Amino acid sequence: MSIATVKPISQGARILSYAGALLETMDAALASHANAFIMGQGVDDFKGIFGSTTGLAEKYGAARVFDVPLMEEGMTGVAIGAALVGDYPITTHIRADFSFLAMNQIINLASKYRYMFGGLMSCPMLIRIVVGRSWGQGAQHSQSPQATFAHYPGLTVVMPSSSQAILDMYPAIINRHPGPVISIEHRLLYNLDFTVSPSEKRVPLTSYVAREGSDVTVVATSVMVLEALRAAQYVQDEAGISAEIVDLNSISHPDWDLVAASLAKTGRLVIADTSWLEYGVAAEVCRQLVVRDPRLLRQPPAMLGMAPAPCPTAKSLEDIYYPSQHETVDAILTQVKGEGHGIALPVERSMTEGYKRFRGPF
Amino acid sequence: MKDEAIYRRLFRTALLIRLVEERIIALYPSDKIQSPVHLSIGQESVAVGVCDGLRPDDLVFATYRSHGFYIAKGGRLDAMFAELYGRTGGISGGKAGSMHLTAPEVGLMGSSAVVASTIPHAVGAALSFKRRGVDRLAVAVFGDGATEEGVYHESLNFAALMKVPVLFLCEDNGLAVHSHRPVRQAYRLAEHAASYGIANRRVEEGWDMLAVRRATLEAAARVRAGEPFVLEIVTSRYKEHVGVGEDFHFNYRTKDGVDAWKGRDPLIVDAQLVEVFRPELEREIAAAVAFAEASPAPGHAELLTDVI
Repeated sequence: MSIATVKPISQGARILSYAGALLETMDAALASHANAFIMGQGVDDFKGIFGSTTGLAEKYGAARVFDVPLMEEGMTGVAIGAALVGDYPITTHIRADFSFLAMNQIINLASKYRYMFGGLMSCPMLIRIVVGRSWGQGAQHSQSPQATFAHYPGLTVVMPSSSQAILDMYPAIINRHPGPVISIEHRLLYNLDFTVSPSEKRVPLTSYVAREGSDVTVVATSVMVLEALRAAQYVQDEAGISAEIVDLNSISHPDWDLVAASLAKTGRLVIADTSWLEYGVAAEVCRQLVVRDPRLLRQPPAMLGMAPAPCPTAKSLEDIYYPSQHETVDAILTQVKGEGHGIALPVERSMTEGYKRFRGPF
Repeated sequence: MKDEAIYRRLFRTALLIRLVEERIIALYPSDKIQSPVHLSIGQESVAVGVCDGLRPDDLVFATYRSHGFYIAKGGRLDAMFAELYGRTGGISGGKAGSMHLTAPEVGLMGSSAVVASTIPHAVGAALSFKRRGVDRLAVAVFGDGATEEGVYHESLNFAALMKVPVLFLCEDNGLAVHSHRPVRQAYRLAEHAASYGIANRRVEEGWDMLAVRRATLEAAARVRAGEPFVLEIVTSRYKEHVGVGEDFHFNYRTKDGVDAWKGRDPLIVDAQLVEVFRPELEREIAAAVAFAEASPAPGHAELLTDVI
C-alpha cells in the first residue's frame, strides 16, 4: 500500500517497505561490524520480527543472530555486558510493552553507565521495540512508551516514521552513536511501502520538516506523521490550508529551534502523538514552546493522542480510542478557521480504515 | 610459589582493604565522604582470594559493596579516595562514589547499587568472549540476597544454555540488609544451580584466603573449559549494612556469629603479620587521602558531561 507522501519516483529512488528498510539496515550492521549481533525472542524464526531479521541467522550464523529465552531483563543485561567489552548488541521486543520487563537494565544501568562512571564506561546498543495498534491489540500490546524512556537522561529515543528514516538513522546510530538508543517502531508501518531515495538530505537524529506549510504547524510522531500528512493533503485540497508537518522523530533530542521556527511562522499548533497526552510528548512540546516564548502560540493548541485509559480490545471501543482521521483534519481546520469551520470532514474515519489489510495475529 | 609467599601476598592486599575501610570509618564523622558506604570489613578474604585466582584480564562485575574487589583487582587507591571524596581526581570524577567503583583498566567493569543487576553483564561479556574465541572469563559478584532476584535465574539459565565462560560468585554473608536467609529463600543455592546443570561449590571457610583462592582456581579452570560455575563463599559482614558503625544493639542478629568468625579472621589472628605490613600500607593510604584532599571538586563544567 502506498501512502500519500510517496512522491513520483526520481532518479535512484525505489520503493521499500518499512520492514524491508529494517532488514537492510540489520543486514548492513552485521556485514560492517564483526562485533554486532542481534538477539531477541524469535529473531531467527520464520517470521523474523515481522520480516525485519528474516534470513539473517542463516547468513551470519547462530552466534550473531539468535533467539533467547523469555528474559527481557536478562537479555538487556547481557547486551550491556557485551557492549561494555566492545560488541554492538541489537535487541528486539516484538511489543513495546515487553520492554517494561527490561526497565531495570535500561533505566538503572544502560542509561547511566557513561555518566555514572565519569565517561569510563559506555554501552552503545540499539533496542528495537514495536508498538502495536488495531485488530484487538488490547491493553498490553498497544503501549507507546516514548515519553517514559525520553524522560531519563542518557537514553536516546527515536521513532522512525518511514523507510527513509530507518535507512538514514539506523546506520548513524549503529556506526557512531556512543550510547544506548531505543527505537520505537510502529507495527502498522511495517507493511507499508515508501519511496526512498539516496538523496544528500538525510533524516537526522532529531526533528525535521516532513511537509512545508504556512498556516498551521502539526508536530507529529511515528504513524501520526502519516495521519498528519494525509490530513494536510485533505485540508489543502478542501480548504486551501497550508499545514506544516514537523516529524519530531527524536523524542529524546528534538530540534526545538525547528519547532519554534515553525510556530513563529504559523502561530497555530496541533500535536499528534501515538501515546497518552498526560505527561507525554504533547506536554513536553507545550513546555518547550511556553518556556521559550508563550507568544509563539496565537491560540491554545490542539492535541491528539490515545484516550486516557488503557487500550480496549473491542473494535467499537478501539475505533474511538485512537484519534481518527477526521479528528485530525478537524483539529487542523479548527486551528485555522475556528470552531464551526463548516468544512466537510473526510468520509474515512481513520487511518486505521486504510490499514484494514492489516490482520493479525500480529 | 609456596603457599607462604602466596599467603603473604594475599594477606597484604586483604589488610590494605581493611585499613582503607578503617580509614573511611575514621574520616566519616568529618563528612568529607558525603555518600553511603557499604563496608566489606570481614569479607576481605573473598575479594583477595577470588581476584588472585583470576588472570589479570579476567573481568569482574561487582556490587555497591566493592571497596574490596576494587582494591583486590588492582584499582588505584588515590583515585578511589578521591572518588569517595567526590573530587575530579576520582576514578569517575566524583560522579560514581563508593557504590559505583569501577576500574576497567584492571578489569573491574562497574559496580551497581541495584541488587543483582550486574549479574547478566558478566554473562554478556562471557558471551562475547566465547563468540570471539578469546580465552578470558567474566565473574559476576553478588550477595546471597541477589539470588532471590529473577534476573539471577535468567542469567543462570542463559549462561547454561549458551555455555559461556562465566563464574557466578556468591558472597554469602547470610544477610540481605537485616533479613536472614530463612525468611528469604525456599531453595538451596547448590540445588538450584544444579537444576540448570551448572556445577557448583560452597566454601564454608570464607575467612581462609588460600582456600578461596584454590576454589577460584579450580572453578576458573572449569569455566575456561567452557561451562558456567556457581561458587558460593561463606563470609561475615562485621559492620552494619550501610554506614560505618556496628548494628548488634538493634538485636536483629547476635554478636556471637561475628565473634566466632573474628576468632578465625587472619587479619585479627595473625597480628604479627599485620604489624609487618601496617606501616607501609598506612603510608600508601595517607598518600591516597592526601591526593583526595588536594583534588578539586567538580562543578558546572562537569555537571552535564558524558550524559549520552
